[in-house]
Amino acid sequence: MSLVYFKNVSKSYNGNLILDDITFSLEPGEFVVLVGKSGVGKTTLLKMLIRDELPTKGKIYFNNQDIGKFKPHEVAILRRKIGFVFQDFKLLSNKTAYENVAFAMEVAGYPESAIKRDVPEVLKLVNLEHIADHFPYQMSAGEKQRTVIARALIQRPELILADEPTGNLDPINTWEIVKLLIKINELGTAIILATHDKEIVNTLGKRVISLENGKIIRDEKEGKYII
Amino acid sequence: MIENLQRILKTAWQGLKRNGWLSIACITMITLSLILFSSMLLFNYISNSFINVLKSKMDLSIYFQNNIPEEDVLKIKDELLKNDLIDSITYTSKEEALKNFEEQAKYNPALEQALNLVGENPLTASLNIKAKNPKDYDKIINAINNSDFKDKLLQIDLTQNQRIINRMNTISWLIKIVSLVVIGLLVFLSFIISFNTIRMAIYSLREEIEIMKLVGANNWFIRGPFIIEGIIQSLIASLITFIIFAILMIVLGVRLEMYLPGLSISQYFWSHWFFFFGLQTLFGLLVGIAASTFAINKYLKV
Repeated sequence: MSLVYFKNVSKSYNGNLILDDITFSLEPGEFVVLVGKSGVGKTTLLKMLIRDELPTKGKIYFNNQDIGKFKPHEVAILRRKIGFVFQDFKLLSNKTAYENVAFAMEVAGYPESAIKRDVPEVLKLVNLEHIADHFPYQMSAGEKQRTVIARALIQRPELILADEPTGNLDPINTWEIVKLLIKINELGTAIILATHDKEIVNTLGKRVISLENGKIIRDEKEGKYII
Repeated sequence: MIENLQRILKTAWQGLKRNGWLSIACITMITLSLILFSSMLLFNYISNSFINVLKSKMDLSIYFQNNIPEEDVLKIKDELLKNDLIDSITYTSKEEALKNFEEQAKYNPALEQALNLVGENPLTASLNIKAKNPKDYDKIINAINNSDFKDKLLQIDLTQNQRIINRMNTISWLIKIVSLVVIGLLVFLSFIISFNTIRMAIYSLREEIEIMKLVGANNWFIRGPFIIEGIIQSLIASLITFIIFAILMIVLGVRLEMYLPGLSISQYFWSHWFFFFGLQTLFGLLVGIAASTFAINKYLKV
């Protein structure tokens, strides 16, 4: 049983074909790197998985369920099962690091006691416990991204989507984030990492799906960045 | 359920505090609207009582010929009182009329001289009639003209009064229509202004709303705090408006009443304070809830 299954998915905006007949699947606990130039449709592909975008053609399955048929409240539940790490962080600006992470638990209806237990633990995991009460404007880019990862992690998702998570970071912070993603994957969470950073792809030695002109041109078990 | 409600309240309170300037802008706009709204309520009262004051000042006087004895006049008074259209009648005897005239003449040497020249009391007894409804003066005058005591009368103060009556009726009708239109317009305007301020405040937070959606918050979890914020802002604005009006009433109420006698505006305000506060709050809540629901729904399309 696959965790994610894209079946002949195409997406076009105003007649421009962005993704063309995409088919692939992802097993639970797998780590996949999605590579391709900027604008090739990596972000669109990830957004379709949390139903922020709908495919023009084809179907997307999560845990064997066609997410195209989900009602609004089912979409909300889907988004709690899939953690999303954005390049531009998307933190709530008037909430502290702690509150941003806690918010993800609050929306899922966790009791206060669970929030008080889990949030400090996850903040410790991403090494942020010392700035728990900082607001986003008081944090560095690396700290923001680690807060985002903590938020994605807090709901114990089955899958984390990371869309260019290191795009705004310096090399040291980049590697910290990559190491964090590897650690999360080792704990059993599947990860789709979209990036165009050649060094990361080649060092990871994970499955690589390469996109070009809206199509999958390569899907290799221990892939390299070749475009 | 209760935990969710607590969270919504907590989030709303945080939103109010942390978006301080935005909250202040919204509260200010709602307060201004409410001041306008309450002013209109008071204006409506003032214009109504102004008309009533003028109407109550209208009366009809009939003067008797000099040789009519007092008992006849009093009999006519009793007879007139049987008329359903008449509210009250005051009798002024020849002597009282003279006394009143002398009182006025004190300040006017020319009048005093004239009175001395005449030597005897030139004034006549009179009945002063007040109608229940100012529109009915015409009918009363007709009744008097057709009565059998018509030839005992010297004069009916009729032409002058009739003109005033007609004008009064037109004016009061006009004031009512104009004030209703103005009130309607201003209340609508203030509603739109507050509505748009709240909408713009939420518009500036649309990115936050999008993030909440992406993290998996359901619509009520997002909408709730914004609506609660709208309610709290309206309540604060309503309280501020009430305090402003209470101060105005204390400071200005009495002075205003000195210029416009018969206008008990502060007494009206204090005896109707619950009505004022309630209507203000209702108006504020309507704006707050409508605006936040409308604006939020726009950004909640999943």
